[in-house]
Formats: sequence, C-alpha cells, structure tokens
Amino acid sequence: MSVTTLVTFIVYIIGMLLIGVYMYRRTTDLSDYVLGGRSLGPAVAALSAGASDMSGWLLLALPGAIYASGISESWLGIGLATGAFLNWQFIARRLRVYTEVSNNAITIPDFLENRFNDKSRALRVISAIVILVFFTFYTSSGMVAGAKLFESSFGLSYQWALWIGVLVVVSYTFLGGFLAVVWTDFIQGTLMLLALIAAPIAAISAFGGWGETVQAVGELNINHLSMVKGVGAIAIISSLAWGLGYFGQPHIIVRFMAMRSAKDVPVARFIGTTWMILGLYGAIFTGFVGFAYVASADASIFSAQGIEVIMEDGIQVLADEETIFIVFAQVLFHPLVAGLILAAIMSAIMSTVDSQLLVSSSAVAEDFYKGFFRKKASDKELVWVGRIATVAIALIAGIIATNPDSKVLDLVSYAWAGFGASFGPIIVLSLFWRGITRNGALWGIIVGATTVIIWGDFLSGGIFDLYEMVPGFFLNLIVTIVISKMGKPDEVMTDHFDKTMEELHK
Amino acid sequence: MEHAISGWSLFWLFVPMPLLVILSIITMFTERSKSN
Repeated sequence: MSVTTLVTFIVYIIGMLLIGVYMYRRTTDLSDYVLGGRSLGPAVAALSAGASDMSGWLLLALPGAIYASGISESWLGIGLATGAFLNWQFIARRLRVYTEVSNNAITIPDFLENRFNDKSRALRVISAIVILVFFTFYTSSGMVAGAKLFESSFGLSYQWALWIGVLVVVSYTFLGGFLAVVWTDFIQGTLMLLALIAAPIAAISAFGGWGETVQAVGELNINHLSMVKGVGAIAIISSLAWGLGYFGQPHIIVRFMAMRSAKDVPVARFIGTTWMILGLYGAIFTGFVGFAYVASADASIFSAQGIEVIMEDGIQVLADEETIFIVFAQVLFHPLVAGLILAAIMSAIMSTVDSQLLVSSSAVAEDFYKGFFRKKASDKELVWVGRIATVAIALIAGIIATNPDSKVLDLVSYAWAGFGASFGPIIVLSLFWRGITRNGALWGIIVGATTVIIWGDFLSGGIFDLYEMVPGFFLNLIVTIVISKMGKPDEVMTDHFDKTMEELHK
Repeated sequence: MEHAISGWSLFWLFVPMPLLVILSIITMFTERSKSN
C-alpha cells in the first residue's frame, strides 16, 4: 500500500474519532446516548438507516456473492430494496408516533413492554435476550469484514487485523453514542455511495465498456449472465425473503423512532430508497465485472498488492471473493482515491457495528441493569453501564470472528433472519392490529427465534435449504395471531392504540 | 459466440428496483399534498 493511501485512510479514521469526542461532550443522558434525543432530520435519518443497515454487507458480501455466482444473486437486492421501501412506507411513521404515545419508548424492548402494558417484564427480557444473541453474531460479521479489509489492504495477519478493527470501532461507539453514530453514518453513507458508483464504472471502462464486459463474463461462465438459469425456486424465494427481515431489525427501526418528526418520513423514504438502490447497483456491478477483471488481469498486478489469487476450473479467481471491492480500490484508483475508498469500506463496517453495539448495550443498561438490578439508576450511571457493555459485547463478537474462514454473508444472514423472524411480525401486528395481546407477542417472539436457530443450525437439504427467515417469520405470525385470538388486549393497550391512530390521522 | 444478458434477466435486473425509487417520489408528493 502506498504512503498516500495510508495517510488518507488514517486521516479519515481520526476525523471520525474526533466527531465521537465532540459528540461525547453533548451526550448527557441515556436518551441522548441511545436515541440522540429524537432530533434527526430526514436526510440524516435516511442515510444513517441505510449505512447502518447495508454495511460491510453491501461492500463485501453482495459483490462477493455476485462475483461467485453471477447476476442471479441480484434477487437478494430486489428482496432487500422492496423490504426497505415497505418498511419506510408502512412502519416508519406509525412507529415514530406510537413510541411517543407508548410512554416515550426509546428501545425496542421498551416499546414492546409499553405497547403491551407488560408488568411482568417477560417481554422486555425475552426481546433483550434475542437482541444480545443475534447482535453478537451480527457484530461479529462486521468484525470479520473489518479484519478482511485490514488484512488485504495493510498486509496484516487476520488476527491482528481483527483486533485493530475492534479497537477502532469500540473507541468511537464508546465515546459518542447515538449522536456520534448517526453523524458519522451520514458522512459514511455519502462516501460509501460515491465509492460504490465509482468502482464498477472504473472497472468497466478499464475493461473496454459494457458490451466487452458482458462478453468476457459470458465466455468464462454463461450462467453468470442469467437471473434464472441454474437457480431453483427455493434459492429465489430465499433471496427475496431477505426483505421480510426489515420490519424486525432493531438497529434500523430505532432510526425511525429517533426522527425529529413523523412528517419527515416521506422525504426520508425517498432519500433512503434512492441511496440504497444506487448502492445495490454499485455492488452488483462490482461483483459482475470483478469476475471477468480478475480472470483476465496479469497475476503480477495482484501479487504486487499482496492480494492472493488462485486457479479454479482453469480460471484465475480471488482466494476470497468477498474482497473484490477492496481489490478494485487498490488496483484501479490513484492512491489518494484508494485511501478514501478503503476508508469508505471501513466506515461502512464501523457504522453497522457501532449501531449494533449501541442497541445491544442499551439492552444491557435499560433492560437488564435498570430493569432488574438498579431500578433507580441515574442517567449518568446508565450511560456508563452502556459503555462497559459495548466493550464486553465487542470482545465476544471479536472472539467469534477469530475464524479466518468466516464469511460475512453467512453471519449476516443468520442474524438478519433471527431479528426478522423474532420481531418482524410483532412490530407489524402491534402497529396495525388492535387485537394483538401480550401473550401472543411473547410466544411469537419465542417461536420465531427458536425456529431460526433450529432451522439454521440443525436442518439442511431439500426444503430445509429454504432461508430460515421464511418459516421463522410465518410461524411467528401464525402463533401470534392464534394466541392473541384466545385472549383480549387490556384497556391501556387499546387506549394507546386508539390515541396513536388519532395522531396519525391528524 | 456472442454473449448477452437475456431480456427476461434485464427486466428483473433493471425494472423492480428503479420502480421503487419512482414509487418513493410519487408517495413523497402525494403525502405532502395530503398533509397540506
């Protein structure tokens, strides 16, 4: 790596840390630390939701999947884009209004407890457990992505790369909390998008144009040119089903709760959708052209940068397909731009990991510590408990990420299904159905989470190759509806529901 | 042999996602005029 690239990269990361320090001074209570005091305008909310959602997944996993299997993996993009749009369209505004009506809830467990007037604390505990379990895996995927970046860019060993990445991310999440996260997310979201658009354009033009690229890809493997050839129905349904996950991702829907006003949702939806779709196209074309580019380039270009390539079926390919975007940054651009792009990748990873750490740490501080041990804990004390939890969760996620063969896509896929299947149907039903009960929600969450764990970890082959999101989501939905029908929501719940509907129709 | 992406694949690749952007523009204006 050139000195210019390294300096650009380091200056960027220091800039992000300085924002963390500045926001640290503005953080006075837990609501500030977790939700930024509900102060986000539409652009910041949209890009922050996008950056915390898409992460290393967009820059590493999706281009890697397209690189390995061709454009048929674009079904993932279609599923996700549709899910994200529906989330903005149907969930954002209602949730923003409802969380305020429900005693000003600031986290998902908070909202669920208030929404279902649950005095037993069972809902709070179960949802906090789901958050801690699946976010540990999710955070771990970010750690893997960070390690791959440092490993392929700086020539560090995987283990060193991993722990340096953990240190950088924890430092600024630890400092600034939500305000630091959303503002750095905003900058990172912008940078990510620019990098995602620039990389495939540069690669396709280096290749001689779109027609030449398609021709070269087709000659290497004709299946890479088709959305349907060699792809079964289960694979297509599984990819599209990623979209179902949006309704239950705590780190994304918490952005809706943090918006300044529900009236900002339409503008935020437009900005968020446009940002995401441009980003998805960038990732798709990066993987698509990457396959032909690596196969036809001289191996010495890669060895000069310390990038490992291997021969597979007579074709030169990257040893780790998930590093294609990192490889493009290094071989296609001026060192200064390369430094910025690498920083954008690091940003993407940081923005997701810190959001997840934040939600997890608030689960520990609010739901366990305040809920059980110190009911009268001061705000300052809770902020500190949140910070200590951030470090502890990051360490556990780091340990899970120590396997150098880990794939970002696999870890994200598992955690995404976990949240989508546990919380998704409950969030949707609680915003739209007056008749949902506490017991229905509680059993729905338990069934959704358990299905994902059993289906994902212990079953495979035939129908069990279907993404665990699908059975988890629909079993949760059925169980919640059936159990709710057996009981009746109490008066506080229905009052809150009616008040929210009134607010929405004002 | 000349290679190309089939029409069906081009459709799925380039229609659904841009359609969502168009929908978000339409709903932005319709919801704004409703709230006014």
